[in-house]
Amino acid sequence: MKKDLLALAAVVLILVFVFSGTKIQSVDEYYLTHIDDIREDSETVFLTIRCDTVFDRWDDLDPALKEEKYIPADGMILSRTEYVLRAGDTVYDILDRAVRYNKIQMECIYSANYASVYVQGIHHLYEFDCGELSGWMYMVNGVFPNYGCSKYNLSDGDEIVWCYTCDLGRDVGCEWQVGS
Amino acid sequence: MKKTVVCIFLLISLTAGLFPAVSVSATENPSVEEVMEGILAWKRSDVGAGEGESLFTDRFLALAGTTPGDWYPLGMGRYGTEENYSAYLAVIGEKVIERYRTPQKLDKVKATEWHRIALAVRAAGGDPRHMGENGEIDLIADGTYNRGLTVSPGRQGINGWIFGLIALDSGRYEVPEGAANTREDFIAEILRTQREDGGFALSGKTSDVDITAMAVQALAPYYNSERVFRYTSSVRKDGDGAYLSFEKKVREVIDESLAWLSSVQCADGDFESWGTRNAESTAQVIVALSALGIDALHDSRFIKGGNTLLDGILKYRLPNGGFVHSYTYDPDNPTSLPDKANTMAGEQVLYSLAALFRCRKGMRTLYDMREEFSALERLKLDAAIAKINLLNEDSAKADAEDAVASYLDIPALDRCYVNNYVKLLAYSEKFGIDLPEEEPVYNGSGGEDRPLLYFSESNKKTADALPSVDALTTEYYATVTTLRYLLANCEDFEEKDAYVERIDRAYARITEIRGEIEALQADIKEQLYPFERISLSDRGAVHALYDRYMALSEYDRGQLTASDAEGLIKCKTQVDTLYLALLIGGISLVIAAGVTAVVILRIRKRRKARAEKKMPESEE
Repeated sequence: MKKDLLALAAVVLILVFVFSGTKIQSVDEYYLTHIDDIREDSETVFLTIRCDTVFDRWDDLDPALKEEKYIPADGMILSRTEYVLRAGDTVYDILDRAVRYNKIQMECIYSANYASVYVQGIHHLYEFDCGELSGWMYMVNGVFPNYGCSKYNLSDGDEIVWCYTCDLGRDVGCEWQVGS
Repeated sequence: MKKTVVCIFLLISLTAGLFPAVSVSATENPSVEEVMEGILAWKRSDVGAGEGESLFTDRFLALAGTTPGDWYPLGMGRYGTEENYSAYLAVIGEKVIERYRTPQKLDKVKATEWHRIALAVRAAGGDPRHMGENGEIDLIADGTYNRGLTVSPGRQGINGWIFGLIALDSGRYEVPEGAANTREDFIAEILRTQREDGGFALSGKTSDVDITAMAVQALAPYYNSERVFRYTSSVRKDGDGAYLSFEKKVREVIDESLAWLSSVQCADGDFESWGTRNAESTAQVIVALSALGIDALHDSRFIKGGNTLLDGILKYRLPNGGFVHSYTYDPDNPTSLPDKANTMAGEQVLYSLAALFRCRKGMRTLYDMREEFSALERLKLDAAIAKINLLNEDSAKADAEDAVASYLDIPALDRCYVNNYVKLLAYSEKFGIDLPEEEPVYNGSGGEDRPLLYFSESNKKTADALPSVDALTTEYYATVTTLRYLLANCEDFEEKDAYVERIDRAYARITEIRGEIEALQADIKEQLYPFERISLSDRGAVHALYDRYMALSEYDRGQLTASDAEGLIKCKTQVDTLYLALLIGGISLVIAAGVTAVVILRIRKRRKARAEKKMPESEE
């Protein structure tokens, strides 16, 4: 009688264990698989990827790209999304993660001359695809830094916007590009 | 005989007068050669090569096909540095083949990718018209006159036309009948973008020093041409908004550009671009003047307050031999460190000084990569230049005729080296002497015969030291590629066939690994995202990818980008966790079910026993 009670208690324990979802991962494994989960205390940044400038220069756009699967109707390739900021993350790291997670095509090269990654194309839209002054630029908190994206170290709450310019930055409000 | 002696005497006195050995600047500058050696010494340490070792380390060669990876070999080749150019030609050859396998080939838009690589290959002693496994890739045709069959060379902006013309003229290559663009198209497209101030720019109304200097470099071979170009500007409009039309000779445009450049030179002798005084803009002006046969250090238009372009550029030289981009410190820009050598500044100063060096030595210009002048050809040029220099108000018609005859004795394509042609033109007009302009005959065939290479004992040692095929990794890529290139272009030797076979096998294996790394990265991106959707049903796929990853050597695993490796490990951990949870859950449930069954059985058994005890009598 006593033995049965013990056995039943064991069964209850097993069931509780199975259905409560008790973690069987090591700390490292847990950390790795949850590294990009946003929690209360996570430091985060926001990322937007847009190309709405091409609508004003539609005639200059490579005809092969004049489809909604390349140019979304609202010009938003990625609407404002929050990402966890890991220690040492640069603007490039966040872009790299975002395009992976959203399966957005992206191509970049490492430019030894600028000691930084240079983004050539996002979502099949490349530099020079909309005229000779077109290409991708990034802005952090409303400012266009004049150096490479893998050189920019981010802080908590930073607002990143990757925007496609058709006029060397003038159409997206970049002032330094206008020249001295 | 007497005439020749006089001629040579004049020549010596004249060249001595033209290019005085002592610099006019107040401070003692290091020689141009010393500065170039200094840049190379700095660059060697920058890429991990020891003193006296080849700059073309694996780390450097990995950059072949990019700006610094190509401009350094160009600068070195044109200066004449002894180097292992075969290594660069081998690796760039492979990169071209790989990039030609993609639909866009070298680039979707940028024709300058073709131009830069073609120039660097030719400067390193290769043939840009016969690249590829069987010489079927022609970078000159594809990047210049036939580029327009795919995308206009100007799609990326004016530099596409500028460097297209430079590449086309690097071998004075012929443009065949029926090409997408003629040589005149390239010239006219550059002229069309001239700004009102006389210079050139990528955009906007104000000219930019670098682009203006590059336009002059491209147009320089046509300075002595009397041909009038009629064109419509693509940037200048009249009051009614209509684009202006022009009729100009190239010479007028170059003179206007030089006047503008002279007017914006800074007091220290350097230049500024985008609001920043920097080394590279100054370097481009040196290349432009050298392309015109102007001694950049003695032309009064380019000396400000006693400071020459060399004084201006040496401001940016560091004690370690490298160059900084600018001294303007930008606190927001981590790349603008004023005390740290910059690779782009180094590469541009290197080739600009090579241009200056060549100009002072009477060699071909930086971008004219045809065979060097023979002694006789140079003598003829110098004689013509000397005779023109001697013309003065008292000169008789016969002197002018003699000078014209000397000029016309020079092949049409080399007359651009007569840097005082304008004076000859004035005297020919004064005396009514005919100075006909011949249509030059461009180089139809393309490349010249290249000497066979030699597979040395040290090459054999390198080949013998390679690991077995199974143990090869992509770490040996540059070594194997270089050996393969040497074997394909070397004289026969006794064991050549055996070496060819071994190196071909090694090459095939490394190519296979490189392909696998690339495929694995693509598959990771394709199959493992979004991460939230990775479930147990993906376990097979994830493990297949992980097994492929683990099958690579440690070195090759390191070649995957950090994000790809992280994504793979993350997914593998995730599916393993899910699987383990399933396993433990299943086993636990089985155990629970078993225990429960045993308990139930025991209870039943006990009940039965109790029942048997209670009423055994009543039944019998």
